[in-house]
Amino acid sequence: MEARAKPVLEVASPGMGMTVQDLGRIGWRRFGVPMSGAMDDHSVRIANQLVGNPPDTPVLEMLLQGQRVRVLEDSWISVTGADASSTIADWHAVKVHAGSEIVFPVNRLGVWIYLALAGGIASSRWFGSASVCPRAQVGETLASGVRLFRAAKSSVQLPGAVAGRVAAWEEQRNFQKPPVLRVWAGPQRDWFTQDELNQFFETPWTVSSQSDRTGYRLEGDSLNVPKRDLISEPVRIGSIQMPPNGQPIVTMRDGPTVGGYPKIGMIDPRDLSWLVQCRPGQEVRFAIKD
Amino acid sequence: MRTVPYGPNSWLITFAERVDDVAFERGRAIAQFLETDPPEGLREFISGYTTVLLIFGDPTVKHQEWDIAGAVAQLEQAVRGKTPVAAVKEITTIYDGPDLARVAEHNSLSTDEVIRIHAETIYKVYMLGFAPGFPYLGDLDSRLHTPRLEQPRTQVPAGSVAIGGEHTGIYSIPNPGGWNLIGRTETELFDLNRGDGEEAFFLRPGDRVKFVPT
Repeated sequence: MEARAKPVLEVASPGMGMTVQDLGRIGWRRFGVPMSGAMDDHSVRIANQLVGNPPDTPVLEMLLQGQRVRVLEDSWISVTGADASSTIADWHAVKVHAGSEIVFPVNRLGVWIYLALAGGIASSRWFGSASVCPRAQVGETLASGVRLFRAAKSSVQLPGAVAGRVAAWEEQRNFQKPPVLRVWAGPQRDWFTQDELNQFFETPWTVSSQSDRTGYRLEGDSLNVPKRDLISEPVRIGSIQMPPNGQPIVTMRDGPTVGGYPKIGMIDPRDLSWLVQCRPGQEVRFAIKD
Repeated sequence: MRTVPYGPNSWLITFAERVDDVAFERGRAIAQFLETDPPEGLREFISGYTTVLLIFGDPTVKHQEWDIAGAVAQLEQAVRGKTPVAAVKEITTIYDGPDLARVAEHNSLSTDEVIRIHAETIYKVYMLGFAPGFPYLGDLDSRLHTPRLEQPRTQVPAGSVAIGGEHTGIYSIPNPGGWNLIGRTETELFDLNRGDGEEAFFLRPGDRVKFVPT
């Protein structure tokens, strides 16, 4: 395994947080193991595509800002997701050189930053996925000094395939302006009156600072939540749960696999990647998915 | 059985109205069927007390026509069949938890009586959730029902045997929690050192459990 022999990157600082994620694990939620995986799966697919990796290849997921990554070997990488004033051109395939440092000093927009390495980041797997979930004791966050290896010999032949080096314009997201998020019916939608549903879909909701990989809390005019008991049942990622205080909690990838709050709906998986990139204080709106 | 859509490519099926022996047996039969003979295109299923969630295909691809009616008909068939009686797994427990006296006091029992009542029941593992390998056990004797702590602990050690309201359970990993801690076990409910397949979990949904005081 010559490709594994030398470390390629080194974590100089994990900043506000750094883990390895892929697109998550399938089939273990009934044992209580969260699906996990990258919060913004759209940005990960693009990041991997730019450097010639399969979409599910493990990447670095970084929270907001403060990360520094030392380059130990010349490599092709790509950076997508949140804008943290990196010197690396984002949404591009970029060649980085040994001895340089990739830095993410100040967050400007979005929440989650992704760094993909051509050939993929070598990582442990648990239940078929490299996605780390410290809360569930599945893997650990990355600390300063950790060295990262390439999983496989890079398949990119760049420059040459110039067309593949920049993400299509419409794939490069401006997180300042999330679209209206489409919402599917949830199992308890009929617990809510038409007036309450109208209120939910007509008013803006603000992302709370109490948001993380387990769930995003939303703040707004409290909804009336029916006082009925719900026997705990499976919860999908993107579910909009309504606790008794009427302020929604959207279940995220490290969140509990079962729960007892009524669910007014579920955010379309294609739109959830927009919500996760909204910083506290940003407003979102919802529309019924027909 | 009641079937409601739950997001793209997914349905929540309710197979019982109450948390009881019937729900437990139906849940077991359904899980066994889905493990051995899953409907075409099933990507994952998740068990609840009285519900099962079926997720088909890839959630990011366009909605497809899955034969949900056919799948439900198969589940109806499965619950009519016989499933072997669940084995009873023993959990050796030291009943010395910091809230044992509180549980006793709340229910006007001695601590010995609390231990005796808690250990004489055979519990059903309705589902796993909250944390990897964390069992939702039933049914706790009503003489032991005790409200959760007003101030949840910031960290409850793995292996803690606890009572929260009408429920009893075992913390499978260290977690914040508000349940009354009545004892502890050295049995590792979730241990990746045993492997990262089903062997990592001491309990499975559909098992039965007995606490053995030591």
